Amino acid sequence: MPTTSSLQIGADDLAFPRLNALSYWLYLFSGILVGVSFFQGSTFAGGWTMYAPLNTPAYIPGEGLGATSVVLALIMFTAAVTMGSVNFLTTMYRMRAEGLRMRDIPIFSLSINLTVWMMLFAFAALLAALMILASDHVIGTTYFQFANDGSTLGTSAENPGASLLWAHLFWFFGHPEVYIVFFPALGAMAEIFQTFTGRRLVGRKWFIISMVLVAIQSFIVWMHHMFLTGINLPIKTIFMATTIGISLPFDLMVFSLIYTMAKGRVRFKTPFLFSLGALLLFILGGITGVFLGAIVLDYQFRGTYWVVAHFHYVMFGGATALIGGLYYWYPKMTGKMYDEFLGKVHFATFFVGFNLLYFPMFIAWETPRRVFEYPADLQIWHNLSTVGGFILGASMLVMFYNLFVSIWRGEDAGESPWKYASTAEWAVGSPPKLENFPGLPSYASGSLEFLDDEEVAERTGKPPGAGVAADGGTASDGGTARNIRAVTAPATPTAAAHETGGEGHASHASFWPFLVSLGGFIAFLGLSGVRTGSPVYVGMAAVGGLATVGSLVGMTRESFHAPEMAIAERWPFEGVEKMKLGMWTFLASDVVLFGGFIGSYAFVRVAYGWSDWHHDLIPAEHVTMPGLINTYLLLTSSFLVVLAMVAAKREWRGATTASLAGTFALGVGFLVNKGIEWNHLFHIHSEMFPNGWTLSTNIGSSTFYLTTGLHGAHVVVGLVICGYMTIRAWNGAYQGDDKPIEYFGLYWHFVDIVWLFLFPLFYIL
Amino acid sequence: MDWKGYTLIYVVLFVFATIQAVVEFVGLVDSAYWLAFGIIMVLSVVKAVGVAAYYQHLISEPRSVTYMILGGTLGAIALTGAAAYSIV
Amino acid sequence: MPSDTIAHAVGVPLHGGDVRAPADVFNSIFEVFLVLGTVVGIVVVAYTMYHAIKYRDSGSTDDPYADTVERPQLGEKPTGGTGGRKVFYSFGISAVIVVSLIAWTYTTLLYIENGPDESQAAIDAIEIEVEGFQFGWNFVYPNGHETNSLVVPQDRVIKLQVTSLDVFHNFGIPELRVKTDALPGQYTSAWFTASETGEYTAKCYELCGTGHSLMVTSVEVVPQSEYDEWYADTQSSGNGTSGNVTAAIDAGATTAVGGAPA
Repeated sequence: MPTTSSLQIGADDLAFPRLNALSYWLYLFSGILVGVSFFQGSTFAGGWTMYAPLNTPAYIPGEGLGATSVVLALIMFTAAVTMGSVNFLTTMYRMRAEGLRMRDIPIFSLSINLTVWMMLFAFAALLAALMILASDHVIGTTYFQFANDGSTLGTSAENPGASLLWAHLFWFFGHPEVYIVFFPALGAMAEIFQTFTGRRLVGRKWFIISMVLVAIQSFIVWMHHMFLTGINLPIKTIFMATTIGISLPFDLMVFSLIYTMAKGRVRFKTPFLFSLGALLLFILGGITGVFLGAIVLDYQFRGTYWVVAHFHYVMFGGATALIGGLYYWYPKMTGKMYDEFLGKVHFATFFVGFNLLYFPMFIAWETPRRVFEYPADLQIWHNLSTVGGFILGASMLVMFYNLFVSIWRGEDAGESPWKYASTAEWAVGSPPKLENFPGLPSYASGSLEFLDDEEVAERTGKPPGAGVAADGGTASDGGTARNIRAVTAPATPTAAAHETGGEGHASHASFWPFLVSLGGFIAFLGLSGVRTGSPVYVGMAAVGGLATVGSLVGMTRESFHAPEMAIAERWPFEGVEKMKLGMWTFLASDVVLFGGFIGSYAFVRVAYGWSDWHHDLIPAEHVTMPGLINTYLLLTSSFLVVLAMVAAKREWRGATTASLAGTFALGVGFLVNKGIEWNHLFHIHSEMFPNGWTLSTNIGSSTFYLTTGLHGAHVVVGLVICGYMTIRAWNGAYQGDDKPIEYFGLYWHFVDIVWLFLFPLFYIL
Repeated sequence: MDWKGYTLIYVVLFVFATIQAVVEFVGLVDSAYWLAFGIIMVLSVVKAVGVAAYYQHLISEPRSVTYMILGGTLGAIALTGAAAYSIV
Repeated sequence: MPSDTIAHAVGVPLHGGDVRAPADVFNSIFEVFLVLGTVVGIVVVAYTMYHAIKYRDSGSTDDPYADTVERPQLGEKPTGGTGGRKVFYSFGISAVIVVSLIAWTYTTLLYIENGPDESQAAIDAIEIEVEGFQFGWNFVYPNGHETNSLVVPQDRVIKLQVTSLDVFHNFGIPELRVKTDALPGQYTSAWFTASETGEYTAKCYELCGTGHSLMVTSVEVVPQSEYDEWYADTQSSGNGTSGNVTAAIDAGATTAVGGAPA
């Protein structure tokens, strides 16, 4: 997927190759940690939605450390996803082929772009939810804990918002996630339709607008998963409207695909069969989804097989198109053709199996989910489903066999085995070379061309292979004699120029990402068992933590350079070099992370009673002054960072170093002040809080310590970077080049801004 | 922006933070809670915008960077606002 | 039965089935959706297949639509194909169907949310508190009587206040089309009325732990008179938590010697 997408937009690599490696290794180790968690027991014991408070240690049978590990594994996974998102967006906005405006990029790439945007924000919300849950597990906060004091009145609870808070956080992530899964399939479907009907996508502009609308709206429909939770009628009405609103763009996209077939030359090859099948399944999923949009019906469908059948038609329907995509791009990935007959056999059995598996669920919809007992008269439908399930599973074996064997036996695919294929990936060899293209891709003339190094040099005024960014380099060069190679010419890669041109393709070989991820894996595995006090677990947490920090430092010190493309389309981020864009993108997701924490605080406080909160839960010893002092410290440190930039620009080495050192000192002061304050609050002995005010004392203390603690962790990270930069400045770095200080400043000021809200919320109001 | 501009911003931020604390010290939080709430939150927003615009130089970046951050902020506000409102 | 006379003597004003039951509301709407959904499904799927088959590639080298459409070229900058107007017409039709269907159901949502109007609601609704726990249900009647299975009279509005004592559950009686989440720390409400006597089942619809599947209990809808007797008996016997409702009713029927329910 990433490969196809970067080929389609004409990028020669990802913007941050080493970050990509880190993302990959974190992803791998998060998977391993999930695997390990099964051996510790109770992994996902409360289902994948992990509803609170069933997801808290009080309700997890036995030791059940797997339930903790899996949350930590998901945190690791989310970190990998966020890095990937930052990397992808930067690539798409900084490294598009010349002439390729955002609206011009192929529909599959566009679907990936929107998917990644949704990932950036949705996974940040999930990260907040997971971090809070992990802290409930590991350090004993009480966000999701519902204390049953033995009375029969549910409202006597100290934390009445506990259960609903998780539902909100989870579905705020969960609904965009549906489209995150579905959009790539939609993009693949549209791409395959174009190729196999020999028609350009009808209503392409509206198709794109629809996708953008869905991506935005996906963040304001989440409560339709919660219609029965007792949320009020106005909010139900609003979310009913947004839900219907989000279904309409899909209507348009379906019709757009249908009309793309009109006047086409439809060829029923395997990729098209799967895409057409996916469209039909999606139509059924869509119609049954309208049923759920009617809240009166939704109430009764809640927790039944209607929901199960509906979302499988939609999401597994989407996966069907992705299988089509696998067949479609298989020749590109391997250079070999799959066996068409076996492909058709796969589709036939897949489609029959799919419908036999899921359609009877609509008929047997009264079956409750996740029970092993159901009304006897529904048995025949469940039996059919079971048969369908086996057929569906078996059909996949046909595919695995086909794709595996074809690597050796398949015919050579050439550059493009598909008539009417139009996107850039089909203009290069199969499989593509490491540097993707035989020259710098450009659409400046209206169709794809590859510029060779001399051409690039002439345009940028830099020697070939210098790999220096030419910002906003979209200048047109009418009439110059150009040394170009039209795409219709046979493929004779002129990649030699890349290899000999000095830097050439960035080396991905760094072992630090692997070590960082390994360290994280060990640390998280240790953390999962820290509450048992077992020295093995505690030791692993410590060793793993040290290894992670150590290898992160190692990674920073390693010299690594991935040049920006010399000429590229960069709207709407011209003039924002890739490091800065990457940092901003990361900060945008961090906004949502803190938003999740602050939103959680606001929610549990409203649930408790906004005004009673302060009186009931917060000790008198919790005063404004430490917060105010810390506000002054952080504001001053931010001021010093911008002064450091000024000094660096004017090449005042001493002033640069002093300003950075001052920032470091103020940050340390912030932490020391916080430490004194916390220590005091931990050990107060008042009438209300005879045993101190600790993390587990009440929901008020939990929100205070965890939210400001997350902020404190951000300060620590900032200090590590700041300390490193202070030393480098002392050794003469940054003189005349304030960019690195600016990147650090973006982060540090952000941490400052967050505190500007935490201070009033947790110290004054 | 040169160091004088930065210094001016710094002074404004410092004063605003102080006003927020003063609002509490004079007892406005106890006597007129929601008025105090309004004043304090507005001051926080102004400070945040000031830092973002001048210290993070959003003012001189392409507007799209601002929109991106606003996008994340809107998401966070949607979550906070709608979730809290749902149980009011 | 002698109990009939007791009920009549007390003169409880029943709504006699005049209140539109949630079950009727659901069933009638569901029916409309099913019919329309099936029709729309058949039409759209057929329309899709018609296009796929009509425009299949015959294998001939001549392009039958060469004068009207342009074929995609390798390396072209992606653009849209012609024929977008039809997309809008079709989209318009589908949007009208979807929006009007949902708007139509919205009035019934208000009915389900607010319950029968004042005059009907005044007809002696019974309010019962439902508490979910791992793994069963506790029902608290207005007189404080607690049971683990539900007994309600026929043709009366039953209002439920539902909560949980531990984790997230969901209380539902599928045949009566009543369902609501049971969350710890808060109450949700729901109501129903049953026009047919008999034995129904209440189930948990949210995964709540290992015993989730077993979290079922019986809901007995009995004639008003029978209910009155049973209820009178629960009052005299205080807060029992016995789950054996049938036994309680039987006992009530044989031992009741008078005394009107409050």
